[in-house]
Amino acid sequence: MNISKQIAQWRIVAASVCGTSHLKNNQLCQDAHHWQVLSDNVLVAAAADGAGSASLGKVGAMIAVETAIENISTIGLTQKSLTDDVLVRSLLNDAILAAKKAVEDEAATCDKQPQDLATTLIVMLATPEVVAVMQIGDGLAVAKDSMGNLLALTIPDSGEYINETTFLTSPTALDTAQMKVWRTDIVNVGIITDGLQMLALNMVVGEPHKPFFFPLFEFVANAEDKTEAKEQLVKFLRSERITQRTDDDLTLIIAAFNNS
Amino acid sequence: MDDTLRLDEVVEFAENPEPRCPCVLLLDTSGSMQGDPIEALNQGLLSLKDELVKNSLAARRVEVAIVTFDSNINVVQDFVTADQFNPPILTAQGLTTMGAGIHKALDIIQERKSQYRTNGIAYYRPWVFMITDGEPQGELENVVEQASQRLQGDEANKRVAFFTVGVENANMTRLNQIAVRTPLKLKGLNFIEMFVWLSTSMSAVSHSQVDEQVALPPIGWGTV
Repeated sequence: MNISKQIAQWRIVAASVCGTSHLKNNQLCQDAHHWQVLSDNVLVAAAADGAGSASLGKVGAMIAVETAIENISTIGLTQKSLTDDVLVRSLLNDAILAAKKAVEDEAATCDKQPQDLATTLIVMLATPEVVAVMQIGDGLAVAKDSMGNLLALTIPDSGEYINETTFLTSPTALDTAQMKVWRTDIVNVGIITDGLQMLALNMVVGEPHKPFFFPLFEFVANAEDKTEAKEQLVKFLRSERITQRTDDDLTLIIAAFNNS
Repeated sequence: MDDTLRLDEVVEFAENPEPRCPCVLLLDTSGSMQGDPIEALNQGLLSLKDELVKNSLAARRVEVAIVTFDSNINVVQDFVTADQFNPPILTAQGLTTMGAGIHKALDIIQERKSQYRTNGIAYYRPWVFMITDGEPQGELENVVEQASQRLQGDEANKRVAFFTVGVENANMTRLNQIAVRTPLKLKGLNFIEMFVWLSTSMSAVSHSQVDEQVALPPIGWGTV
């Protein structure tokens, strides 16, 4: 009998794939993601979309997600320490600030301007009882509770025009950042970058599309083999059904808390 | 493993309207455009349509509207996606009420944006492409002055990108005072090449992702 299956735990599947428009132009995937499960079922996850116009957008995105995760994971968090909203907010804020500083430092090291490493950033903290997100720029974070409600924790922050947004390196980054803390029985969480927005969000009402997220949540809940699950997710993101609709880079992080 | 197939089959996508990339052609149809110029312009409009529909994404995303100015202002074509666009055959007569034409172009852009927002349609920065062989004529100077100020404000606030093309005897100095971007002088009546360029540019914009600075193709049809 496999005991590990009986222990309540997070299951996570995540992938970033290069958009067909970037493949065509021999560009790198500008998206990056990173996640870690800390002790006591604290999940921390981040996704970033490096700006297509920034020469080192990919570098900015990678540094941003790695710094943010490292910043939170070294604190020694437990579920108990996340019962205070003020503390949760300051954790996320510190992680974003650390990411911003790391990106700016890297720019200085490479003799570049911070905007050459421009990237969006979404950072999420989740336990079975609370989920909290901070986001700069576009993309979207969602969570599902035990009642089956799907909540948009953030909404894409594009400017007036679809090809504009705010970046971690923008002077207004922290002023326009979105932050949300939701306390309930959390069953699933998800993060997407802007490449999937048109497929995962009903733009008219501004709500996440349940038929997009729910099958993915079921998939991750049943994903026994991590490697295989990731392969399947990558295949899905590269499937013709998706590439017909979007030629941008795509990132999807989905997680399920299996409490059975 | 057939689970792959399953993901592909079970995940449903939200049905959202295509983002739109609006472009107003603001065309001088005054008397001086009679003859070869207006015919060349009409040919150019046909090639714009032909080029846009070659790109399936641009055909659904680029919206064209046509405003003409002579002694009157006419919205000859309200905003329509490229695949639905039937180029009109324009005729030339009368004076050159350019100021009123600029106002009309900016008005219909403002209205269109508000329709987009109401219907949850994402959009790109609108373009106005003004083509003239002259200078304002037949309207009060302060109408032109107001139009110019409004245009410069809209350009500064990124509400619009306004391009001016001068044909033959256009008063380039005057056009330069009215617009923010330096007007281009069309080589001869090379409208077809110009509209092919416009189509390529709009297609590039309509494909662009977040914060992609779109590099416009080189301009072979005109000079600064």
